[in-house]
Amino acid sequence: MSKEVKSAKPTGKKYWQSLAELSDNKDIQAVVAKDKNESNGFSRREFLNLMGASLALAGLAGCRRPVEKIIPYVVAPEEVIPGIPNYYATSFQNGFDALGLIIENHEGRPTKIEGNKKHPSTLGKTDAFTQAEILNLYDPDRSTAVLKNGSPATLQDFYSTWNELYNSYVSNEGDGLVVVSEASTAPTFARLKNEFHRTFPKAKWVIYNPVNEENILNGVKQATGKYAIPYYNFEKAQVILSIDSDFLFHESGSIRNSMGFANGRRVKSQNDTMNRLYIAESSMSVTGGMADHRIIVKNDQIADFTIAVGKELVKQGVKIDGVDQLHINTLFDDKFIKELVADLIANRGASLVTVGRNQPDNIHALAQTINDTLGNIGNTISYTELAENLVPNSEELDEVNASTIIMIGTNPVYSATSSSKIRNIIESAEHSIQLSSHVDETAQLVEWHINQSHFLEEWNDTQSVDGHIGITQPQILPLFNGISNIEMIGLINTGEFTKGYDLVQSTWKNIIGGDFQTNWNMTLHDGIYSEQIQTPHKLTANRFRINGSFDAEQNNGLILELKPSAYTFDGKYSNNGWMQELPNPVTKLTWDNAALMSHRTAKRLNIKNEDVIKIASGNEYVLLPVWIMPGQADDTITVELGYGRSSIGRIGNNVGQNAYKLMNSVNNFLLTDIKVTKLGTTYSLACTQDNHGMNDNKLADNAIQDRLQNIIREASLDEYQNHPDFVEHAVHHPPLKSMWDEFEYDESPQWGMTIDLNVCTGCNACSTACQSENNIPIVGKREVRMGREMHWIRLDRYFTGDPDNPEVALQPVACQHCEMAPCEQVCPVAATTHSEDGMNSMTYNRCVGTRYCANNCPYKVRRFNYFNFTKDMPEIVQMARNPDVTVRFRGVIEKCSYCVQRVNVAKINAKNEQREIHDGEVLSACQQVCPTDAITFGNILDPDSKVSKERENNRNYALLGELNTKPRTLYQAKLRNPNPNLVEEHS
Amino acid sequence: MSEAIKIENNLLDEKLILGDPTFHSITEKVSSISEQKTTKEWLLAFGIAGSLLMLLLALIAYLVWEGVGIWGLNNPVSWGWAIVNFVFWVGIGHAGTLISAILLLFRQKWRTSINRFAEAMTLFAVICALLFPGIHVGRLWVIYWFFPIPNQMGMWPNFRSPLLWDFFAVGTYFTVSLLFWYTGLIPDLATYRDRAVKKIKQKIFGILSLGWRGGNRQWQHYEIAALVLAGLSTPLVLSVHSIVSSDFATSIIPGWHTTIFPPYFVSGAIFSGFAMVLTLAIIARRFYNLENIITLNHFDKMAKIMLLTGSIVGYAYAMEFFIAWYSGNIYEYFTFTNRALGPYAWAYWTMLTCNVLVPQFFWFKQLRRNVKFLFAASILINIGMWFERFVITVTSLSRDFLPAAWDYYSPTIIDILIFVGSFGLFFTGFLLFIRFLPIVSMSEVKSVLPQADPHYQGGKK
Repeated sequence: MSKEVKSAKPTGKKYWQSLAELSDNKDIQAVVAKDKNESNGFSRREFLNLMGASLALAGLAGCRRPVEKIIPYVVAPEEVIPGIPNYYATSFQNGFDALGLIIENHEGRPTKIEGNKKHPSTLGKTDAFTQAEILNLYDPDRSTAVLKNGSPATLQDFYSTWNELYNSYVSNEGDGLVVVSEASTAPTFARLKNEFHRTFPKAKWVIYNPVNEENILNGVKQATGKYAIPYYNFEKAQVILSIDSDFLFHESGSIRNSMGFANGRRVKSQNDTMNRLYIAESSMSVTGGMADHRIIVKNDQIADFTIAVGKELVKQGVKIDGVDQLHINTLFDDKFIKELVADLIANRGASLVTVGRNQPDNIHALAQTINDTLGNIGNTISYTELAENLVPNSEELDEVNASTIIMIGTNPVYSATSSSKIRNIIESAEHSIQLSSHVDETAQLVEWHINQSHFLEEWNDTQSVDGHIGITQPQILPLFNGISNIEMIGLINTGEFTKGYDLVQSTWKNIIGGDFQTNWNMTLHDGIYSEQIQTPHKLTANRFRINGSFDAEQNNGLILELKPSAYTFDGKYSNNGWMQELPNPVTKLTWDNAALMSHRTAKRLNIKNEDVIKIASGNEYVLLPVWIMPGQADDTITVELGYGRSSIGRIGNNVGQNAYKLMNSVNNFLLTDIKVTKLGTTYSLACTQDNHGMNDNKLADNAIQDRLQNIIREASLDEYQNHPDFVEHAVHHPPLKSMWDEFEYDESPQWGMTIDLNVCTGCNACSTACQSENNIPIVGKREVRMGREMHWIRLDRYFTGDPDNPEVALQPVACQHCEMAPCEQVCPVAATTHSEDGMNSMTYNRCVGTRYCANNCPYKVRRFNYFNFTKDMPEIVQMARNPDVTVRFRGVIEKCSYCVQRVNVAKINAKNEQREIHDGEVLSACQQVCPTDAITFGNILDPDSKVSKERENNRNYALLGELNTKPRTLYQAKLRNPNPNLVEEHS
Repeated sequence: MSEAIKIENNLLDEKLILGDPTFHSITEKVSSISEQKTTKEWLLAFGIAGSLLMLLLALIAYLVWEGVGIWGLNNPVSWGWAIVNFVFWVGIGHAGTLISAILLLFRQKWRTSINRFAEAMTLFAVICALLFPGIHVGRLWVIYWFFPIPNQMGMWPNFRSPLLWDFFAVGTYFTVSLLFWYTGLIPDLATYRDRAVKKIKQKIFGILSLGWRGGNRQWQHYEIAALVLAGLSTPLVLSVHSIVSSDFATSIIPGWHTTIFPPYFVSGAIFSGFAMVLTLAIIARRFYNLENIITLNHFDKMAKIMLLTGSIVGYAYAMEFFIAWYSGNIYEYFTFTNRALGPYAWAYWTMLTCNVLVPQFFWFKQLRRNVKFLFAASILINIGMWFERFVITVTSLSRDFLPAAWDYYSPTIIDILIFVGSFGLFFTGFLLFIRFLPIVSMSEVKSVLPQADPHYQGGKK
């Protein structure tokens, strides 16, 4: 076992290196030194080869029932039928919110995560992160054992060590004992934390997350006097103002937000209305791409913008104390603010102002006050009060005085800012203990590293932001015998190890009334307890005070804005290949972070795309390649956090650069005092979409703008209401005639799909869900750079309109399942053919690999296995595979199958039960995950099916329909709802 | 004297073969090339060609081992150099068949001096061509699924696919070309047999010459066979490249989906084929002192054919552009402006210069008869025609309908070395042919000598 443990560190053995090669990560320093950005080396794409881990797992084959007994398959459990998956509910605590989930379990092996329809946070939906958790579970680089000073030890060793320490800390009331954990509102966590404080009254507990909600909480506290978590009901909001808040994607509760926002935006016919979204931000975000009005505000002027809105509210007759005294330094478009505020006032009680978590607390306070004065609290915004002892206090991490520091599931060394003292604290503590899933940066320094279980392996519980509690039930025994955070806290509190199951049960015995066992079983079954244990608070925010200075540091020069990575987030998902390879929804970059800047700034600094710059702040600096982004505020550089891991695993190590070290304090994501120098060298980034319509390449840009109206049809709500048939007039072409009698697809079922571009936010959850469901390999940075990414559904992103403040046009593109498929006609061996139920099927076994089909596909959705991408996949990663889907070999084409494996299960069930397939019985993976329900799939011959109804919508069009390919997937045109009073200016 | 006889005499006056050779001197001249001891130059050339062939084989082994990912292909550009090379080599093959078949039917007697090695060139070019579609598939080991072999699954290839047509067209072409070439060789092989000193040579050429004795009836049959094979080959000259072009023309991709492709490809093929014949002829002529057999008149005539076909190709380029604009199809129009001004403009302008500009110099007789100029021009045209296939294949794919899927394709070193290696295959075959077989058709050259005229009176009129 010890060898695997060491695996996270370089060992020089050849087979450990192949996975690292996947990221193709070359030290940018070395790149600069050599001024050379390509290495040759042909074996780079050889995948993971992990014999040791598979050996470790050999002993784990057996039943994985969510009970605490082991039943070997000699006595087969009744519920497990080989080949037929079981589904179990669980839930996942993510900060202050919980996600209710349903796990697909094949013979005791979890393979796919879906949302739980009964859970209000997910309503059956999930996001890319949650989808990727399945790969986190089977991460071959997970820590597999307890380490003492880097050498293997056992849990027993640790228990005895802790036992001694426990006794001494009990006697000194915990003086010098410091615990660092992540934020959570889970009931058992809360109970154990209270217990901890009772046991060790003098001990210190820091709740630390590098990217957190503390600014929001402090802002709410400023405005209302209470620590409370706001959560939003976007469905009721008619007018939304987002102040640097990427609520559809990156703020917590994004699934819930997306669902609500989409419901407020969905348009069934020209008689419907939709919400209106204003956003002020400095760097294009997913939410910014959805906005009806987007104003680019340099990050250090966001405060001024918020005050300007506040002042205008006062001017238009809304009473907000204290705003008058505030002064602003920046001039904004008066008309824009006037009309925006008028719109907010006109929709009192149905408007919403939301601020991003990275903005300082006083902006939050002002925004909450504005919400209050507009009557939004209780309507579009609710609060859950946070118990005092659960309030995060990341800043206090640097102030602790520890003789023993215990870090539970946190990795503060990686996310250390330039002012952080964490290294010293750990090194000077007598004992340092860390519970972590990986032998990470912190693990390199600590005395004791304990391997943590994954949430799919443990008993735990959760509480969602709206007060629903649920149980985290294990789907599999811990693969590496890790322990959970509550087990760790339990051990700290009592000196003895208590099983998570017992810890959770003893918490719940005090929560749930009635017959405990029945309610417990019901909760396990449903994934959520039937009653809300905490109801929303109706706080009033009229206590807004000018607390502290509003004069954010402003700088006329360059500023640096830091934000969590789109898919590795704060660094947690760094070792997840799906997430590293998932294109950033805005930049379309994979496998790296970059310094985003506007075209104008780049020109001013004489910088081109992929030029390496040095960004220095204080004594720290990073070297990053530049990526020029439309819609970026001038003089603002945006860099994603969550890269540059030095010790997480072979996927994530040395991918990108760690920007945390530029920060000068926790929770301050804006740096106004930076120095930028150009280094005269370049670094190649792996971008999945080279052309977006504003590349400064006239020929291509003009062509793209010319054809965008055909490809992504779009109108304003007003235009749509006046011309409900506008989509038909986007392209005029001769009548589409066929030269022969075509196959009549008249036998039910006939499968089809619609994608509503009006609600698609571009979050990429579909892409990840598809990757998980269909065993799609990751190919590594080098292959992505060569243009060989394998995603079956991709999100095309273009920029249109005003080059200084462009709009985003988004389109998810997967196989369109053309009835007259150009691919089928050219395959020499008939490997791709049409099924009678209207699907374009791919027979992998028959494919010779001429790639003619891929050439002839006008949508370019066919993907080719240029290498055997799954050749050296370790057994543990193979466990994440969906057994219903063939893993493709080298040399064959693959593509979206409309989740034919799911269709076939439904077909078999329907046939056995002698009935038709019900509408909604088959959900494609992309449809199931989509938080905005943009994707509808079903039988188009069934007039009552949802997809048939969607197809009747007059916004439907076939992509490149003029080619007469007759696609089964139809798109519904995008609408925007600009404020009529601002249209002249912004059109 | 009637007009017809006058013209006939005039034609005879124009000497096809210079130096007043006799039948015997022709035999001596041509046979000596294969009968002399292996020259150092040949060994050197063969060494280079053989090494390149070994390189090719090694790279193919690597390719089969690793997968076609070692090439520079990407998602939109699924066909790269392999297909470009395929079309390039097939095109080269065309000249041989055109010379031996079509010119035979048109009784162009000047062809006799060059038809033999032009045909050999065809064979080796088609072998190179066949190599590429073979190795470019993802799973080489199941390529037999292309064959319509009856099987227990009742699974047939897809006869609607132009790739399958290709497979049959090129296969047929190769077979007929081989037969034609071999039939033509028989009288010369018999000559070699008769001249052979060593027993082994006698045996081998004895078997190969199929009992040829040069009798009247044999000649009669031979002439008819040649005519029949010429009749069979003639449509093939036109069909093969038409079908190769339908790989592109039947597709939906802008820049490929064009009805002009078949004639455009055929004339391009003849154009490039003649350029290659010219390159090889100039080298062979010089090394083996064949100036009297392959004369400036031959070059002059070939240059004229290249002028014609090159101009047709130029017309096709212009017409493609015009139609792209005239159709009003934005995708089509963009494809062509993108070719001329986009990221591959360098390839486009290389192609245009080499294929359209260079042959225009052939309007001048001095240049048509200037060997050095012709050699340079033939190389340039070969380069230009390779780029034509590159431009067609790659630019269309790299930027088609949905801009999000656009990507730039560039070859890897392996792509390049495999192409270089294919020249190794070509020249290895060609050098072996030069070493062991008559590179000029002795019997046919003799037939155009004045002595062959039944009314020949020893040089007197």
